[in-house]
Amino acid sequence: MRYLDWSVISHAWPFLWQGLQTSFLLLALAMAGGILLGTLIAVVRLSASRPLAAVAACYVNALRSIPLIMVIFWFYLLVPLFIGRPVGTFTSALIAFTLFESAYYSEIMRAGIQGISQGQMGAALATGMSRMQAYRYVVLPQALRRMTPVLLTQSVALFQDSSLVYVIGLHDFMTSVGIVANREARLIELYLFAAFVYFVICFSASRVVKRLQDRMTVA
Amino acid sequence: MISALTVRIPTAVAPRVQPTMISMNGVSKRFGSFEVLKNCSVDVGKGEVVVVCGPSGSGKSTLIRCVNGLEAFQAGSITVDGIKLGHSTTDLTRLRRRIGMVFQHFELYPHLKVVDNITLAPIKVLGRARAEAEAKAMALLKRVGLAGKADAYPAQLSGGQQQRVAIARGLAMDPLVMLFDEPTSALDPEMINEVLDVMTELARDGMTMIVVTHEMGFARRVANRIIFMDQGQIVEDVETQRFFANPGSERAKQFLSKILNH
Repeated sequence: MRYLDWSVISHAWPFLWQGLQTSFLLLALAMAGGILLGTLIAVVRLSASRPLAAVAACYVNALRSIPLIMVIFWFYLLVPLFIGRPVGTFTSALIAFTLFESAYYSEIMRAGIQGISQGQMGAALATGMSRMQAYRYVVLPQALRRMTPVLLTQSVALFQDSSLVYVIGLHDFMTSVGIVANREARLIELYLFAAFVYFVICFSASRVVKRLQDRMTVA
Repeated sequence: MISALTVRIPTAVAPRVQPTMISMNGVSKRFGSFEVLKNCSVDVGKGEVVVVCGPSGSGKSTLIRCVNGLEAFQAGSITVDGIKLGHSTTDLTRLRRRIGMVFQHFELYPHLKVVDNITLAPIKVLGRARAEAEAKAMALLKRVGLAGKADAYPAQLSGGQQQRVAIARGLAMDPLVMLFDEPTSALDPEMINEVLDVMTELARDGMTMIVVTHEMGFARRVANRIIFMDQGQIVEDVETQRFFANPGSERAKQFLSKILNH
């Protein structure tokens, strides 16, 4: 242990902190976009229109059968070919994550919607609301509330997965750690530190989720 | 109870000169090969109170759920206040605005306060201003005896209170017709009357009502007519008095003797 030099971390901290902020920003935006898109897909999948429901099911099943790292990589390489100009690494990563995670969030939201009794939809329709209004004001708020712990657990996994953006060179926390580790030749210190940071963040988040869940069971 | 049945109580049943509010014509509905409704025709006049009774699975609930289009039907037609409901779903929301519905399991929105349960549809569907909708909600809560409960959540209320809120929610849209689908079946016995009292008052105020219920005391006191259903068919459609005194069909006689005898 006496060969380890931890001062390298405090020296590099401003750079690492920037990476961590990028990771958090990516998480927050992909979570918001993913839950929004996922909810939309869940509603379409439960709609009376069979062709639309089939398209939504295909989307979900396709994305769930591909490794995330491929989605990130291929999105980064292919999209510029189609639109004729390069896409920034952050935008590219954000879109890849949003699309990928929306498949998982949509399954969670689908379970949530199915958990709300049919009678709630009936009551809303009976007052003259359209299906969309009934979803928006009656069904989805309840489904979202009920599924919050599961959505957050999925988001913890999303945060861990965000380290995969190193394949396209986005300067998130993990990539920043790698850069410093190689520059200073202090791989052990930096990767131990990275593991520690991920552990603290994800473990505290899952404690929060657990408490939330306990409170909801009591209520 | 038996003696009360055999004595004819003369009550003035108003002759039906009122304009027709609901007209069902030859309505049939199938779930696969099972016929839930067979060629059902009913007219309900403005201000009339009709009680629908019959054994479980006879199609009572399905019948009234067809009236506001919550259930689709395969043949026949339904007209409510001049709006025709074919077997396709035309203009359903416009129709539903004018028909209030109360469900067996209340179906209040658990994530909203009582007042917001009542104002949601008036604000979102009719585009009323919040202040106006809330003022009306408070007046309706007072009418159903729950003036102090506006800020409570449904889970904090008893079953009877929840059902009265559900009635207020239906009334908030200024409906022409109120449909009640077994409104007291899920209630503890001591809470049934508080709900029936509100419904009785509503009937006295001239609301057109179709009520699916097993509460024969309520039916006898409040209904103008009784519709008796069995196996998806309307077996009887007669004035209340006559139904209790001398039901025309064997099936209705059996039904009445079973539910009035204990």
